[in-house]
Parts: sequence; structure tokens; C-alpha cells
Amino acid sequence: MNILGISCFYHDSAACLLQDGKVIAAASEERFNREKYSQVFPINAINFCLQARDLTVYDVDYIGFYEKPFLKFSRVILSHLRSYPRSLNNFLGTTPSWLENRLIMPLVFKKELGFEGKTLFVKHHLSHVASSFLVSPFEEAAILTADGVGEWATMTYGIGKGSDIKVLKEIHYPDSLGLLYTAVTTYLGFKALSGEGKVMGLAGYGEPKFIDRFREMVMVKPDGSFRVDSKFFGFNEGSRMYSKRFVKVFGKERKPEDKIEERHQDIAASLQKFIEDTLVLIARNLHKETKLDNLCLAGGLFLNCVANSKILEETPFKEVFIQPATGDSGGALGVACYIYHSILKNQRSHVMTDAYLGPYFTGEQIKKALINHNLDFKELSDPDLAKYIARVLSQDKIIGWFQGRMEFGPRALGNRSILANPCNPNMKDLLNSRVKKREPFRPYAPVVLEEKAKEFFKLEHPSPFMLLSPRVREDKKNLIPSVTHIDGTARVQTVNKDTNLKLWQLIKEFENITTIPVIINTSFNLRGEPIVCTPEDAISSFKRSQIDYLVLENYVVEKRT
Amino acid sequence: MTAQYGSYGKELWKALCFSVIFVGTLIPHPVPPKGGKKSETTDARLARLAVRLADAKAKRARLAYAVSKRVKPWSFIKKMNERKICKRCVLPENKPDIWLNEEGICDICVEYEKTKNFNEDTKFLETDFIKILNQHKGKGEYDCLVMCSGGKDSTSSLYYMKKRYKLNPLAFTFDHGFETEEAMENVKNAVERLGVDFLLFKTDFMKDMFSKIVKTKSGAVICHPCSIWYMDLTFKVAARFNIPIIVAGWTKGQSTKQPVMSRCGCNVHQPEFASMAKAMGKFFDNHVKNDSKYKDFPRSMEEVLTRANKRHKCIVVSPHWFLPFGAETYVETIKKELNWKFPKLSYPAKSTNCYLNFISAYLSMKNYGYTHYHVEMSKMIRVGMLTREEALSMLEINFDEELIKDILKKLGCNPEDLNI
Repeated sequence: MNILGISCFYHDSAACLLQDGKVIAAASEERFNREKYSQVFPINAINFCLQARDLTVYDVDYIGFYEKPFLKFSRVILSHLRSYPRSLNNFLGTTPSWLENRLIMPLVFKKELGFEGKTLFVKHHLSHVASSFLVSPFEEAAILTADGVGEWATMTYGIGKGSDIKVLKEIHYPDSLGLLYTAVTTYLGFKALSGEGKVMGLAGYGEPKFIDRFREMVMVKPDGSFRVDSKFFGFNEGSRMYSKRFVKVFGKERKPEDKIEERHQDIAASLQKFIEDTLVLIARNLHKETKLDNLCLAGGLFLNCVANSKILEETPFKEVFIQPATGDSGGALGVACYIYHSILKNQRSHVMTDAYLGPYFTGEQIKKALINHNLDFKELSDPDLAKYIARVLSQDKIIGWFQGRMEFGPRALGNRSILANPCNPNMKDLLNSRVKKREPFRPYAPVVLEEKAKEFFKLEHPSPFMLLSPRVREDKKNLIPSVTHIDGTARVQTVNKDTNLKLWQLIKEFENITTIPVIINTSFNLRGEPIVCTPEDAISSFKRSQIDYLVLENYVVEKRT
Repeated sequence: MTAQYGSYGKELWKALCFSVIFVGTLIPHPVPPKGGKKSETTDARLARLAVRLADAKAKRARLAYAVSKRVKPWSFIKKMNERKICKRCVLPENKPDIWLNEEGICDICVEYEKTKNFNEDTKFLETDFIKILNQHKGKGEYDCLVMCSGGKDSTSSLYYMKKRYKLNPLAFTFDHGFETEEAMENVKNAVERLGVDFLLFKTDFMKDMFSKIVKTKSGAVICHPCSIWYMDLTFKVAARFNIPIIVAGWTKGQSTKQPVMSRCGCNVHQPEFASMAKAMGKFFDNHVKNDSKYKDFPRSMEEVLTRANKRHKCIVVSPHWFLPFGAETYVETIKKELNWKFPKLSYPAKSTNCYLNFISAYLSMKNYGYTHYHVEMSKMIRVGMLTREEALSMLEINFDEELIKDILKKLGCNPEDLNI
């Protein structure tokens, strides 16, 4: 049985193919159409997913859509009415797209794909729940999802058992921690949907001086439920998500080009602390209610790896599973799993141990691309490649690392990555100036051998999807200065032999040379672009930046100086 | 035929008017970005202007060159082994159509690099193909007419139409008397294993024209009138059985753009074909027009299409334009599923063609220094589907003059006709 899961028309469009309960392929549309956070119909991703198993749309039994359009439209209309006339512009801007596409999804599938079979709709948060629990290693677990907003729900608690999911409680719009985070992100001069990570990075530099003010704006009850004071926010009112009153409390908003002041850092820190405290409180209550040891997290809010670590450290839950595409792109995976397991009542058999679900390219294809781009290259065997690249890494060279299947989800997990030496304290500035052009306050993430993770980080569990942010051990901070954030944490990815052998070998060789089993792993993209997908994308990024070596499978290209 | 199209004079006028209009609308120029909906940026406009200016400059240079040598441009033929080959593709210098610059790169490659950004949105997806099929299928007894030559591309097209897209195809093969037994065997195997209806059309109709091309030393390429003939034939068959879709096995190198697709894959108006097309025109004027046997023969692909459109509305597509994988993948499939086999000898290597193709390739190489396969593969090299080394090895001449002599005998010609 083939089920195609689709998420689109909001942000992070994606598609996922589930064949007999096994996740065969999944990818975000942005990687194909090269438009970051693309929200268009994921036609390229769908073609990729089907062709991964040599299928056509005639072989698809069900298409699942990751939310319920009518329910969501009712929320949009009602909330527009509530804040009329300030919402008029927003209303006029969004309604045509609802009428053209979003309310008539089966027709869209027929028009775009020629699909005439059954289309099933699953609630947005249920898709999130399913995307985490149904591919987790747990037979039974508590589930918590949180994001900006789905149809009405902004946060959902539930229990998963076998292939059944039971939702215990939902918190509804406009009470949303995700929207709160986004509102403050825009207030701090960053873009919504992409700037939240920057706020999290900025938070490390400040003190949570304003946490009480956030507590006034959001009433958190002892049971973990909360209410956002709408006087301070306006999620539907034109271009701004916060109100004048919010500006009165925190001062003038920051323009994108303005300098970052201490006040901004403190606001970011306060927001981060407030979110962490609230999530920890909610998770504790959830544990009290469910008495389960395992927790599955999903939704865009749980891309916040600092908060994830706090939940793991400060609640009685023993194990936490967070799926790599925890944002809306994961909804495509979730809805497909929900249809197969919960609606069609099939047993679970698939555990998601890695995120490598995207396209891959054969050595022949890569060679062809290199020849066509007139690049000189050499081919090395696996052990030689690891040795060679480890040596140049230790010489502070920057490596574009392109291997196997592309990752699903927003993180580059060692198949479409830029690698660098974490021991050099200047490496962050070097990467920023030569390749990534990021804001200087944002940290770079380390990838570490799973078996050595405990030596360097206060980490009890593996973090294969780079969604935890443990503290770096005091005695190791000096050894890996360029991946240690100002607050002493690091967004760690752990790698083992089974999931990514080549990367594991490389780090092992790097350890042999430097005694450090850690390297910097940042996504293989240039500023403002999505992560590379094809060898052509990688070659193009390589040519336009100052990456020193490009490694495509076993082919190595050195930058000519 | 005359009765079908009215009086000869009337038909000629009509054909002339239509072809002028048709050719006028299809003269290739840079594709505007993204469907033309978005307004063009200043940069793109400037780039387009630059391309046009460069065009005009190149035209002037060609003219000046021709005048200085006091010869007509198309009479400029050099021996093939003296020719320099472009360093990026496999086209040799063939003034005035193909020029190499100081770096040894031909003007077609240079042009491609310039207009590359405008052509980027010509990527087709399989879902687009399915949309087209859904739009047209189910109108008659057969969903599609598959032109099946027994080669890897057309046989796999037939396989895909039946198995992958679950349509009811009619396989159609034409034999002008020079098809190879191996190809016919492949077709037979395919239709039997797939259980599809099969139509074989065998005729001697074209033999006289082919031998005339050889005897008159006109420089015309045999494949050109043959493709006009078989497309006309295919359209007639589609009309006869009321089939809305004609499926060909054309690959991305043969054609990738929508306007070219509608012209059945081959665009004789591109500069690489200029000399060949001119020779063809001349041949038609001198030898075909006055021949009573061929008096209704269409002069160009455009004319074929105009006639076909009057007769019956149908579209021409190839699954290979929409599928992401290359020949290696589908060759494996048809070998396994349809017992398909590579022929022992064919030009270029790894293809399946009729016997006359050797003569055609021989003549083209002799007259122009390259064949239409060189053009096709150069295009594939430019878009990154093939490397130059692979193309060169496939295009190496693998037949000898003995073979050519044998085929000439079959065609009713003498080796002297080719100066062998």
C-alpha cells in the first residue's frame, strides 16, 4: 500500500511516501525549487518521492493532507472578524488563496497530479503527533506538540499506545507559545519563520531581566495551561504581530539593520527562559497525568533545542524522541503514518533512526556533473577519503561534504554539510566571513562520535537529529572553543557507525590526528538559500563561496587558488 | 491525395502562407523567465539585449567573411579530418553555421551559456506528463499511438505507456524497406510480451527519393525527408484510428522545449542544421517538386503539422522528456521485461537505426563533418546529461566502406555515386 503525505500552502511544503508502513522517501520542496521555506504545492518533492520507488500517481492508494482546511478557514475568518477592521488587509491578502487552492485540495490533487483516488485530511496537530510517536521507538509514550497554530490548536497533549493516539487536551488559538516566540522575533528585527533560531542564539548573551513582564503577558496556570493577553499582541492585524502596548512595555522595536543592544539580548533571554519554564511545567504536568517514562515531542516550537534539553533534564521523563522534521514539513510524514497506522489499523514496524530520506546521486552522475563544470577532481577510497579530509580539516580548511541521501527536515546531519575544525577559536569568524555570512552571535554546531559524546558534553542520551543542546563539560570548553556557545552549551549531533559510517570514519580519523572526536557541522548552503540538494547545487555553492574542498561522495575537488 | 487537399495550386498557396506564418511564430528567441507572468527584471532585460546585440554582431561577421572569400556561405565545405572540434561539445567548425572562437569553443555553446538562465524553467516533471495523458486519453479505441522503431527509446516508450501509465496503446512501425532484422525482432518481442495491438506499414514509396539523394550528390540528408514522410504517415494513422496522443521515443537531446515538441522533435531552423536544411530545400526544388510520384510530398515538418491539424487534432509527446532517469535505467528494464537486444552494429554506438542510416551518416560526415547525432549529443553535453568523452566514443565511425557498398546495392545505386 502506497500513501503519499503532503504538507503545503503555509510554509515548509513537503511530501512523503509511505509504502507498507515504511517511510521510503521524504523531502521538502524548498530543496528542489530553491526557494527557502517554500509554501507552493510540492510538485517536485512529490515527483521525487514517487520515483524513489518507480511509482506513478496511479499506484498511490491514499493521499493525506496534513491539516483540515475548512476547520482552519473557519478560524481564519472568525479571527479576522474579531479584529475587523484592522484585519482587513490580511483578509484581502489571504482569502483568494483559500478559495483558489486551499479549500479544494482534492481538486488540486486532480489538477496537479491527475490523482483521482481517496484524499484524507488529518488535523494539523494530529499530524505532528503522528509524525513523532508513530516513528518513535516507544510502544507507549506521552506526546506533546506545540507550534504557531494549526487549525485551532496551538498545543496538544496526548498519549500514544501501539498505533493508537489519544488526544487529552488542546490549547486553542490565540493562546500560542509559537506565535509569542514569532511575535518577539519580529519585534527584535528578525524575519518570522526563519529568525526564531537567531533569537535562541541571541538569548545566550543576555540576562532574563524581563521574564516577569512576559509572565504578565501570558498567564500560566499551575496545570500548565496558559492564556496570552491579547492586549499585547495582534496576530491578525496587518504587518505587525505585537501591539502598541507591547512596544510601551519593551521600548522601541529593532529594525533589521539596527545594532543589537544589551536590551535586545535581555529580551531574547527572557523570552527563551519563559518558554523553557512554561514547557517544563507543561511536561511535568503531562508526566503527572500519564505516568509514562517516554515523551514524544513535535511541532515547530521543538526546533528550540535549548528548551528540548531543559525538558529532558528537568522533568521526570526518562527518554525523549524528537523527529528530525519536527516543523511543518514533518506533517507530510505524520499524516501518511496516521492514515496507515491509526486509520487503517496496521501494526507499527518502522522506527526512524536517521533522517536520510531525500534524493541521492550515483558516482556516475556526480562525475558527469564535475566534468561538465570543468572541475579537476580525484577519486579516493573510503578509508583514504576519511584520512585525507581529516588531515585537511585539522589544517583549518573548510569542507563541503555531500554524501548519500539528503536529510529530511531543516538540519543538515552530515550528508549535506559544511565541516570545519572546532579546535580553532577563530573558526567561527572564518566560517562567517568566508562562507555562511551569518550574524556573529549565532553559534556553530558540533557533531561528535556517539560513544565519546559523554566525555565532551553533559548528555545522557544520543542526539542524532541535532535537537538537544547540552552543556559542554568545563574541562573540554577550551578544546572545542568554536562550537561552545556563550552560555556554555552546544547543539550537538551524535553520530554512530550504523547511521552514517562515512562521517563516523571521518571523525574517527580526525580524532586520531587531533585527539578531539568532534567537528563543526553546519548546513551546506549559502546565506538566504536552502540547503543544497543536487551535485549541481553543491558545485554552484562551492564556486560562489570560499569553501576549500568539495567532497561529493568519493570525489574530492580542491579550490584552485 | 489531390482530391483530399483540393487543387494543386490552391494547396501550394495555402501551404506557403501557413508555413510563412508558422515559421514566423516559431523563430527561436530567448524564453522570458517563469512563464512571462512576472515582470522582467532590469538585469534580465539587459542580458536579453546583450544576447540580441551579440546575434547581430555574429551575423555581420558571417556576412563579411562570406563576401571576403567571394563564395556563397553554404558552399563552404572542408574535409572532416582537418576540422577543429569544439572543446565543450562535439561539433566541428563548419563555417558559416558553426564558428569556433579563440578558446576553441563553438558559437552554439557560447550562445547556450548566455541564454542558459532564460531556459532554466524547461524542466519537465512526470506529473506534467500524466496531466497531459489524463487530458487526452480515453477518447477513442486506443489511448495513444506509439511510434515503435525497435530502438531502446521507442521500445521503452511503448513499455511505459502500457505498464507505467496503464494506457491502451497501438504500436505502429513503418518499414521503408531498409529496417534491420534485429530491430523488427525487438518490436515483435515487445508487442507480443506486452500484448498490445500492432500495425506494420511496409512500403517502397520512399526508395526512389533516397536513391535520388545519393545519385544527385545534393548534400541533402536522407533522414530528413524520411522523418517528414514518417511523421505524415503517423498523423494519418492517428487520424484513421481517431487516436488523440502520438507517442515518440525522442530523448531530451532531440528536443526539450514545448515549441520544438510541437514540431516533432527536430528543429531544422537551428544554426547547426542551416546548411543541411538549405541543401534539402534545393533538393526538393530540383528533384521532388516535379516528380509526379512525390507531388504531394510535404516540403517541411511545418507543412506536415499544418496538414495533420486540418485532418485530426492530436498531440505528440515523449515520456523521456518527463522521466528523470537516463537510458541505462530503461535499457535494463526492457532487456529484462521485453527481451530487448542491442543490435550488433549501429551508428552511433548504443543506438538502433535502419541500414540507410549508415549512408546518411556517411554522407553527412563527408559533406558537413558532422551528423544530426553530433548536434543531438552536443545538446545533451550542454545540459549535462552526457560527457564529451562518452559522446566522442559513441560517435566514432564504426562502419566501413564495404558495408556502405552493400547498402548502396540494395538501394539501386553504384559505389561511384558516392565516389567510393
